[in-house]
Amino acid sequence: MSFSSLVFRNLFRQRMRTALTVVGIAVGITIVVALGTITGGLRQTVGGWLGLNGADFIVGRRGSADFSFSTVSDGEWKAVAAMDGVARATGALIRVTRHGSNPYFILVGVRPEDLAKAPPELVSGRLPRPGTTHEVILGSRAAASDDADPGSTVTIDGERFRVVGVYRGEDVMTDSGAYAPLDTVREIARSPEVVTAVWVAAEPGTNATRLASDIEERFPTLVTISGVEDFGKVDQGIAIMDALNLAVTVLAVGLGAIAVMNTMIMAVFERTREFGILRAVGWRGSRVMRLVLTEAIFLCLVAALLGVVCGVLATKGVMQIEEVQGLLEPRYTVDVFVRAVLIAAGVGLVGALYPALRAVRLSPMEALRHE
Amino acid sequence: MSSRLVACEGVVKSYEEERIRALTGMDLEVDPGEFVAVVGPSGCGKSTLLHLIAALDRPDAGTIRVAGHDLVHEPNLDHYRARHVGMVFQLHNLLPTLNALENVQIPMFELGIGASERRARARRLLQLVELTGRERNRPPQLSGGERQRVAVARALANEPALLLADEPTGSLDSEAGRVVLDLLEHIRAAGGTTILLVTHDVAVADRADRVVRMLDGRVETTASPTAPPVALPAEAVR
Repeated sequence: MSFSSLVFRNLFRQRMRTALTVVGIAVGITIVVALGTITGGLRQTVGGWLGLNGADFIVGRRGSADFSFSTVSDGEWKAVAAMDGVARATGALIRVTRHGSNPYFILVGVRPEDLAKAPPELVSGRLPRPGTTHEVILGSRAAASDDADPGSTVTIDGERFRVVGVYRGEDVMTDSGAYAPLDTVREIARSPEVVTAVWVAAEPGTNATRLASDIEERFPTLVTISGVEDFGKVDQGIAIMDALNLAVTVLAVGLGAIAVMNTMIMAVFERTREFGILRAVGWRGSRVMRLVLTEAIFLCLVAALLGVVCGVLATKGVMQIEEVQGLLEPRYTVDVFVRAVLIAAGVGLVGALYPALRAVRLSPMEALRHE
Repeated sequence: MSSRLVACEGVVKSYEEERIRALTGMDLEVDPGEFVAVVGPSGCGKSTLLHLIAALDRPDAGTIRVAGHDLVHEPNLDHYRARHVGMVFQLHNLLPTLNALENVQIPMFELGIGASERRARARRLLQLVELTGRERNRPPQLSGGERQRVAVARALANEPALLLADEPTGSLDSEAGRVVLDLLEHIRAAGGTTILLVTHDVAVADRADRVVRMLDGRVETTASPTAPPVALPAEAVR
């Protein structure tokens, strides 16, 4: 008999109580994993936006609630483009529209000559030619969804476009969208003389970070976004998701800890006499404490395993919703699972600490007298 | 340095803010290899004495030295309990979820004995208490006498110098009680283990080398059970 088999048996004494506690914690872990993978997918989408047009950073309007609401005037765009150290400043108007089953179809309006300077990875066909108005390139997912290829015609936001190429987007959102000439998208969006943001590539040898701060200094109402963590300056979505993630994690830990504490307090109370016996035969208080804590942590790790499996299944379930498919692709990263396991272990430790201390603080005689 | 295994001097212990005075100046000495029975009326402090020597509790005053350990000032009583004493309770106090073999192994964890050695030693001890073939039985599947024999095997798990037995036959029928006593005698004869036993039972006390009679929390008389003046009056052991 090993120490761990002793732990295992103790947990199996009250099977129903143990099972209910595991399920309670697993529900919390399920939500943590599902939200973690979904948030990770959103971050990847944002990362994809940042990488568009071969840019070092994006310039957008400070305080926008959503990135698509950001507006940079043509005057500001030109002024940014004229700054020292700027190799390329690509203005793009982003139009979010429903297309087919995708409610978040991204139509990116870019001047064809700018697109040619930093094109997306073409899978087939060519880029829209300068001077054309209704040529479009589709992301591979959008093309597959529309069953379109170069030479086909598609209708986006009421306008008919000729598909001239298909590209592979860096994230699910851009891969499910399209590029069209800027002027055409401006007409569709009824947004003349503005772009959503400007993608800036610094000249070789120029410090992009310093250039970004120079731009912010010169244009106080504009912000620069160099990484996913900056995205909150122009879009509250990620910040809201992060806050939600944190809140759910805190709730999962709190409720899980209460469940574990309840279970372990009951177990310790029921087994007080046994702890007295263990102390009477020479077990140190620390060993008794380790027994209680290990039981709780083992219980929580089983819950973590169950929660991770359910979290992945829940995410897959969410991804069956058509509207979500074009928005993000869940990211099953190691850190999400590590976080789930650490949260579970933390829940076990926090929840079992008081019961374990209670078990240890009793004198052997007191414990032996317990009925 | 005293050669006594157990030396108690002026031990005082009370409960409930001194309303219950269990020991009022107890003196006791036990030599290595002795089998000593402590008798006395209910509430005279017999079990309290045993619990103090087992380091399950600390005295209010006086000194208790066992195997060179000063139990009043000893900082690590867990190690003392694990290494130097084995305790047999009136009720077996076995862990209900563990079988006989596992119950016997429990004290060995504290001495860091490896799993295979634990199992082998537990098997030998169960063989000693004549429970071979019952290793896989859990306490509810054993008779009262068998449980108590498992408890004796557990008490011997770490080869203690001193075996303490608190009414070990108190919950057994006479035949099962006789088997347990035979076993204790055998253990003492075979391994030289010192035994300090508390009992109400005259027949049990008669098996000891020496009988200590307690009254009102202290020793009243000490004598050999076979010597004429030491024959216990029935009222004293009830």
